Formats: sequence, structure tokens, C-alpha cells
Amino acid sequence: MATVSHGEEPVTTAGDLEVERLSPSAPRPERPPSPPRRRRSGLHRGENLFGWLFVSPSLTLLLLFLVAPIILALYISFTNWSGLTSPTSSAVKWVGLQNYRTIITQPGLYQTNFGSAIRNNFYFVIFTVPLQTIFALWLAVLVNNRFLRGRQFFRTAYYFPSITSSIAITTIFIFLFQGSGVVNTILGWFGIKGPNWLYDQQGIFWDFFGFFGLTSPPAWANHMVLGISLWDWIAGPSVGMCFIIILAVFTTSGTFMLFFLAALQNISEELDEASEIDGATGWQRFRRVTLPMLRPALVLVLTLGFISTWQIFDQIFLTASNPTVITPAYLSYQVSFTDSAFGVGAAVAFLLFCLIVFLTVLQRGFIKEDLTQ
Amino acid sequence: MKRWKVIGGLTLSAALVAAAPTAAMAQGAPKLVGKTTGVTLNFMIASSGTAETNADRAAAAAWGKQTGNKVNVINSSNLTLQLTEGFAGGSPPDVFYGETPLFESMAKQGQLLDSGNLIATPSSFFPSLVDAYTYNHTFYCVPKDSSTLAIEINTADWKAAGLTNANLPTTWAKLAYDAKVLTKGKTTGLVISDTLDRLGAFFAEAGGSYMNASRTGFTFDSPQNLEALTYLAGLAKAGYLKFPEQVDATWGGEALGDGSAAMTVEGNWIIGAMQSTYPKVSYEVVPMPAGPTGKHGTLVFTNCWGIAASSKYTAADVSFVKYLASPAQQLRFANAFGVMPSRPSVATQWAAEHTTPVASGPTGTPNVSPFVQGDAYAMPQVATIGFPTVQNAFDSAILGLANGSSKPKQMLSELQTNAEALLQP
Repeated sequence: MATVSHGEEPVTTAGDLEVERLSPSAPRPERPPSPPRRRRSGLHRGENLFGWLFVSPSLTLLLLFLVAPIILALYISFTNWSGLTSPTSSAVKWVGLQNYRTIITQPGLYQTNFGSAIRNNFYFVIFTVPLQTIFALWLAVLVNNRFLRGRQFFRTAYYFPSITSSIAITTIFIFLFQGSGVVNTILGWFGIKGPNWLYDQQGIFWDFFGFFGLTSPPAWANHMVLGISLWDWIAGPSVGMCFIIILAVFTTSGTFMLFFLAALQNISEELDEASEIDGATGWQRFRRVTLPMLRPALVLVLTLGFISTWQIFDQIFLTASNPTVITPAYLSYQVSFTDSAFGVGAAVAFLLFCLIVFLTVLQRGFIKEDLTQ
Repeated sequence: MKRWKVIGGLTLSAALVAAAPTAAMAQGAPKLVGKTTGVTLNFMIASSGTAETNADRAAAAAWGKQTGNKVNVINSSNLTLQLTEGFAGGSPPDVFYGETPLFESMAKQGQLLDSGNLIATPSSFFPSLVDAYTYNHTFYCVPKDSSTLAIEINTADWKAAGLTNANLPTTWAKLAYDAKVLTKGKTTGLVISDTLDRLGAFFAEAGGSYMNASRTGFTFDSPQNLEALTYLAGLAKAGYLKFPEQVDATWGGEALGDGSAAMTVEGNWIIGAMQSTYPKVSYEVVPMPAGPTGKHGTLVFTNCWGIAASSKYTAADVSFVKYLASPAQQLRFANAFGVMPSRPSVATQWAAEHTTPVASGPTGTPNVSPFVQGDAYAMPQVATIGFPTVQNAFDSAILGLANGSSKPKQMLSELQTNAEALLQP
């Protein structure tokens, strides 16, 4: 191995290679580090242009179908567009922050619906993200076992719900969870009378409070925040929302299982064996060796989980008759298309966007990806 | 890179602005444009089932053949959504069902051609229907048909319970008694969809209403409406009245068809639905009961033939709608899927042909005169912009009447407050 002194370590450019080719044995002159982009010659001429050319189709699609609609939607959230004319026509008036005021500060049905939607989605997130992360990790650890026969089959089976259409799965779940459907029949074998899953609006925390004798709201809980009372805020997810939580955990665990599986397979077996030799039990091995090494995958799964659960729409669209299941994404659609109030709908969408960005930044602050940071 | 993205985005937005078409405003007597032959029209419908779709297709094909045109029949799964998309994008369908919630928005923004007077004189239709489609003293579109609510009773269950004609639910008390007797085993006596669009009939029977006479204010929170809702809450708590979600159905007709309901409250559309989905179930139709003061009430649902003001072939559109609204075609529609013609003359003729009180099923359609009778005292839906969300909030509380978690007084006062908020500019 040739030794190169630190001061002569050059940034390799095309020019350097040419110099080397010409006189390999001559001592290389000291050269200051050259700027990263130099005029290319010969083989590399036009590389820049071709780069742009190859990227331009997807860039155009991104601009046309992502960036332009988002800018247009932001503009619409400051107008009173009703959807029946072009958004840029003269009939559409600029109303400034009125739409935002309608859903945040002005008491009325829109404010109540928005508050409700935020509360519903909040409980959905805090139940679904931990459940699906733990479930996915558990499945990944199971499937990663060297001694498990038929690993390929199990991997495919657990991943299958993620590649099936969410509409199809939701429809089947609705059928299974009907009032007198399969799930309630099975619960009936154990003597439990199952609730009418989809339509029950009873918050499960209320039932929990009921165990301690607290069946009606105390005086302080009648205070209204964002149009709904504090008693409603602490109601927890309703039975209908629990149905959606079960559905979401079932559908997305497969995808996250794959992330964890990939990360698990990157951990060398020698590490595990070494800790076993050192006397660590299975649980200690998992907690002190495996889990810290899974940190990047965990952060990825949590971030993706939070972002996607705050935006859930498909499942809500199919079970929309329960108001404790409405989420901001669905509310935005509902307000826009049934009330022709696209300005308010766009305002809801942008508030949701700001909320997600804020929470993601918060989450990144709490759970650092790299332990050395 | 980021800078290019911003510049690119702004350029695209500017391009979109430049290319956006402006909405055509209809003023005065509309001028009709376009050829009347050799054109292709887009006709958007929101069908209640196969019978209606086929009837629309047949009518479109017949007119097309007659005039040398072509009509694309588009059956939308969500009419409000697709109409909004069409208008926003500048290419709405030429002729479409102009349903009540969107009607006012469309009329206000000049999207609807005021074609009413061009098709026929307003006096040839039921006055209440013409009223529903008049905005700002302009008769915008011709009502196509109407449906009212009535009670449908499963004749097999009725006979099995030993009930006779004397027990027919002509009053609230009799209805409650019938619901009680007919509730046994898996069958509930009465199943009604949990929406204001069904329960509102009882409001009318109690003497209440949705709006005041001049249509400038709402009257939801009245003692009469409260009496009606309390009556229904009582039946629901006792278990004689259930809502479709409680019996795993999506609407009253389905509950009637699969045997979980002995009676239901539905409109004319149930005729076509029962014939195609539950042909073996025999049922009869009786008018809605009279309220405590002896007043009869029901709800009317109607639709109109809308023509887009920005359509390129308004002359052909008017000719097409004239054909669709003609007495002969109205009779054909009525026979095909059971809606009532909007012309009084045709309606009486149709009712006369179907008054033999023969139960439905393989032998034919039931006695439809209760539906026709209802037209005389029916209450129309609310057409105010933004009302669907308000109604949604009320509807979602109805299921709570069964276990007492929703209180009628509170439901009505919330409905009143929310509805009044819509009238503030």
C-alpha cells in the first residue's frame, strides 16, 4: 500500500487522472483542492444536461401533481370557493383568515367538527402507533428465527394485508364486525355481548371511569375547548374508533415488519452468540443488544407511523356514519364536497399539515436516530 | 434546485390561471346555442338501481334516434362530487339530475340554464315542485318526478300476527300498537332509517315544520317537533322501533326485504328495489299515520332536469329535456321504477292504473295511491347551502335515542342553532 502524506491528498478529478496517466512515476505537484464542479472535458461533457434530462419527467410530475395543487390549495384556503366555478374566476372572493377563524375560534358546527376530528385522530394515533410498532417488531423477531420452518410462508402471510387493497380489507372487516357478525358471535361463545362495533359512539375511557363510579361529567369537565367539552376530550377512542385501530394495526404491521426484518438481518449473529456466552438471558439479549441496534429502523417506523396515522382517510370514508370516527382528512373532504365549502376544507387540510410537521419535529427531538448525537 | 422548484411552480400556477375558463352567466331569456342534430350530449344521472338506469338509457336512445343525436348516459356513484368536478373543471355534463342540495349553489353562480319556461309552462307541474326549483323568482329547471314517504308492511308478518284492516296504522297510537305486536323473535315491528329525511315526516304530522312560511327562518325547535321526536324516542327505547344499524341493514328497504323488519317507512324507490332485490317478499303500502291533532304529513323528494349554462349545445339540451319531461315519457319512467310523475294529469292517470290493492311480489307492484295522496300534504327538504353537514350532525345522534344517550330536546335545539348559523351571511 502506497503511503501518501496528508498534505498531498488530492481530490481526484478528471484532470488528475490524465496527469497520472501521462507520468505515473513523476512526483505529483501540490495542488490546492479544486472546486467540486469544473468544466468537464471529453467523456463527461454534457453530463449535467443529461442528468437534468433523466430527472425531468418525474420532476414535472412532482411539480404538476404535487407542488402546484398544494400552492393552489393554500390559495383556496384564503377564499370562499364553492367548487362550482374555476378557482381563479372573478366570482371567488378573497376572505383572508376567515376560514381558519371558522374552524378554530368561531363557535359553531365547523369548530365542533374540527375539534372532534382532532380528538378522534389523536386517540387513533396514540393507540395505533405503539401497537403496530410492537406488533411489527414481534412478528419480525418471530420470522427472523433461524430455526423456524417455513419462514418464507410466514413472511408472505404477514405481509399480505399490506399489499391488498385497503378498501377490500375494510369492506371485509365491516362485514365481520357487524352487530350480529362473526366477531360478536365468537365473543358470544365466551359469554361476552359484543357491541355494535361500527356505530357505537361510547368512549372507552368513559367505561373505565365508570368502574370508579364516575359516570357523569364533573363540573370542571364541561368547559369547552375547540367546540367540545373536556369530558368529550378525555373520552378516549370510541368503540367505532377501536374498530379502525384494529383494522389499521392489521393492515400496516406487515410493511413495518419488513423494515424491522431488514434491520434484524443486518445484526450479525456473532454478536448475539457472544452475549449468550457472556450469560445474558433471551430478554436481556433482546433489550440490550438487539433493540439498540434497531434504533434507526425504529425511528423510521415511528416517523412513518405518526405521519400516516394522522392522515388516515380510506377506512374512515367507508365507515363514515359514526361521528366519533371522523378524522381531519375526512372532514376536509366532507366539508368541501357535501357543503361546497372548499375554502374551509383546504384550511382544515393545511392545519393538519402544520400539526403533522410540528409533531414530527417534536418526535425527532425526543427520539434521536443516532446515539452518538 | 430549490429555487428552480419555486420558479417552476409559479410558472405553472400562472399558466393555470391563464388557461382557466370563466363561468358563463345566464341573464334574461337564455339564448340557445349549438346545432340540434348530429351532436353528442353528456347526460349524468344518479340512479337508484338498475331499473332507473335502464329507463334513462332507453329514453336517451329513443330521443337520440328520433333527432339524429347521440347521448352518453353517465351513471355517477356520487352525483354531488362529479357535478362539482365537472363545473370546476369547466366541462360539466350537458344535462343532469339537478338535486336539491346543490341546486341553490348552482343557480346562484349562474351554472344552471334557466330553462324552466322554455320546456313547459310552470302550471303544468305540481306547484310545490315548481317552488322547489325556483330561485330568485326564476324557474330554473323542470321537476322530473317526485317521491313521498309511506309505510310498507310485510303482509305475511301482518297476517301471522292476526292483525286486520281495523289495525292499519292510521294514527300514532295504532302505529305504536302494530309495531309492538309485530316485534317478535328476529323481526322488529318498525325499522326506519336514522335520518331527518325519514323522521321529518312525523314532525309534519305533529304540526311542526322545518322552515317558516316565508322560508326565511328555521322552526326546528318547536313543541310540535319535540312531541314527534319524543314519540319516536319512546318507541325506540321500548325496542319496537329500531334503526337499520341495529339490525345490520343499510336502509329500511333492506330490513324489510331480509325479514328483520315487519314495517318500514320509505318512498317510491322501494318499489323498484324490492322488485329487483327481494322479489319474493310481498308487502303493501299504506299512507303515513295522522298525528295527535289528526293532521297528515309526509316528506317529498324531488329532482329536476338541469341544463348546464355553459353547455355548447343548449338548443339540443332543451329539446332533450322537453322529450324527457313529456307526459308519455313521464308515464314510462313511473312504470319503470315507481317514481311519481311531476305533471298532475299524468300522476292521476298512473295512480288510477295501479290502485288495485294487490300485494306486491311476483304479481306486480303494490297499490301506489298512498304515495300519490302524500303529494298533497308533503313537506319538501331543506335546500339551504351547507345544510347537509347540519343534518349529518342531527342524524348521527338519532341512534342514541335507542339507549337514551341522546335527548330529543337537546337534539332539536342543536339542530336549530346550527341551521340558523347557516343563514348568517
